[in-house]
Amino acid sequence: MTAMTETRTATGGRLPGAVAAEWTKAWTVRSTYWNLFGAAVLMGLACLQLAIYTLNANGNDDPSDDKGVVAVGTIAIGAVDLVQFVLIGLAMLLITGEYSTGAIRATLQWIPRRGEMLAAKTAVAGVIGGAAGTVLAAAGSLAALPLLGRWGGFEFGPWLGDVLAVGAYLALISVFTVSAGALLRSAVGTLIVIFLVVLVVPASLQASGITAFQRVADFMPAVAGAAFMRGESDTYPPVLGLLILAAWAAAALLAGHAALRRRDA
Amino acid sequence: MITLTGLTKRYGGTTAVADLSLTIEPGLVTGFLGPNGAGKSTTMRMILGLDEPTAGTALVSGRRYARFRHPLREAGALLDARAVHPGRGGRNHLLAMARSNGIPRRRVEEVLGMVGLSDVAGKRAGTYSLGMGQRLGIAGALLGDPPVLMFDEPVNGLDPDGVRWVRELMRSLAAEGRTVFVSSHLMSEMERTADRLVVIGKGRLIADAPVTEILAGSSRRRIRVRGPHPESLRELAAHLAGRGVTADEVSPGELLLSGTTVESAGEAAHRLGVLLHELSPLEATLEQAYMELTAGSTEFTASTGEAR
Ligand SMILES: Nc1ncnc2c1ncn2[C@@H]1O[C@H](COP(=O)(O)OP(=O)(O)OP(=O)(O)O)[C@@H](O)[C@H]1O
Ligand SMILES: [Mg+2]
Repeated sequence: MTAMTETRTATGGRLPGAVAAEWTKAWTVRSTYWNLFGAAVLMGLACLQLAIYTLNANGNDDPSDDKGVVAVGTIAIGAVDLVQFVLIGLAMLLITGEYSTGAIRATLQWIPRRGEMLAAKTAVAGVIGGAAGTVLAAAGSLAALPLLGRWGGFEFGPWLGDVLAVGAYLALISVFTVSAGALLRSAVGTLIVIFLVVLVVPASLQASGITAFQRVADFMPAVAGAAFMRGESDTYPPVLGLLILAAWAAAALLAGHAALRRRDA
Repeated sequence: MITLTGLTKRYGGTTAVADLSLTIEPGLVTGFLGPNGAGKSTTMRMILGLDEPTAGTALVSGRRYARFRHPLREAGALLDARAVHPGRGGRNHLLAMARSNGIPRRRVEEVLGMVGLSDVAGKRAGTYSLGMGQRLGIAGALLGDPPVLMFDEPVNGLDPDGVRWVRELMRSLAAEGRTVFVSSHLMSEMERTADRLVVIGKGRLIADAPVTEILAGSSRRRIRVRGPHPESLRELAAHLAGRGVTADEVSPGELLLSGTTVESAGEAAHRLGVLLHELSPLEATLEQAYMELTAGSTEFTASTGEAR
């Protein structure tokens, strides 16, 4: 039992160990790389498209849809509507990929405390989603800049703020997604719920034409996130948008944790 | 050491494990036997905190598994070899596992070498054969060099060499003073590997004893009697039957007795003047002993009636 005494002296484990393990796992499956690649391609295409829209609107004869000079950061923010779904897929696979293969039982054998396991997974998903969001928003907006020409506005401070806001939004949406995955376990179920909460429900509420419903929509996570990123909302100051989004993520985290504790692996 | 106290698990209406109390001692290989659905895997999952007991406790070295700072260094287990992400290589799987419990990286290479997977450790686990997957699971169990080890049907899918390797591994782990708890359906293998047996049926404890004791307790311990005169053997059979001994004439000139001893059968033959060519005890096999113990607690018995 010589090795036993050796390994016993090593430190680590608990939450830092759990985070290290989840981090390693995230970067040792292909789906993570494919998702990041897909997000990059989509970000590039969406930013170019939005830049072209801006140019067309400014170049036509109808002055009413003139966008004037746009800050490049807002181009990236507009692209998030689309790009977020690829990064949601990445976060989702970190947990539903383990339920579908049975690997979750291995994970819980290594990290038996449910709270530590979920905290580690959400931390890793949040960091990857946040970092990818920030980097892609920066790259996408800078790519759009030459295309916009004189209609593109770039000031470092506001641009950095926009790019970081995209990162914060995607980090929180990733946390929300992993938590929903812990609650629902299946990829299909998680995707349906995310689509409903992020896209379908707020869109229906906003399209209803009923003011009360539209106010409710303002408190849905993606709408609150957009208000935060764009720095504009009729209902509340933008920073409250961030808090609303964070509250959604925290509520999902608590629900996911409660489900993990209550249910057998 | 593993200590179960009143361990019970119900899934809705079905009771998978019922009031199981026992201690699995270090330094021994303890075999865990029982028919399909008896509750072996469920018991092991509860020991690892994967399933929450409905009642009772399961302790590893006196504590609940989930309470350990480094659980993998306290108990290693192979429960389900398929519980690995198929897209991740074997080495990366073990590496993530090691990081979760602060186990040094070199230990990953060590266990890969021990199970003979060093050459294929870079390939995705989904491409592994049944036996390779089983070996990866065993590597994971050994990773933390734990004093307690559990294996749920470890030889499932292994080739004869692999089966022998697992047997020797279990023996040597126990010889090092570790607790080794292993379930299997292969009775001949268990007979050679285990020191002690725990038998359960329908979630209840049926037997918890050394292998030798379980073999000795088998009522199917039989005696073979052969002689040149079938007629006189039949006389002997009738005589013994009168004393409550079961005597079957398996062929002219050969009897199988149960419920008696070699000594009293020999004496009876002498008294009746029956000439014998053979009078020998047949060793009970674990398979026979097991069948007797679990008769009545098999849940899924295949119909042997004629096909409909
Ligand atoms: N998650 C679950 N939900 C419902 N019932 C379950 C669950 N897990 C196990 N069971 C039931 O509990 C009983 C014991 O199952 P278990 O897998 O522990 O048996 P086993 O002894 O390992 O059998 P085998 O030899 O076939 O592996 C079975 O009746 C099974 O159907
Ligand atoms: Mg089983």
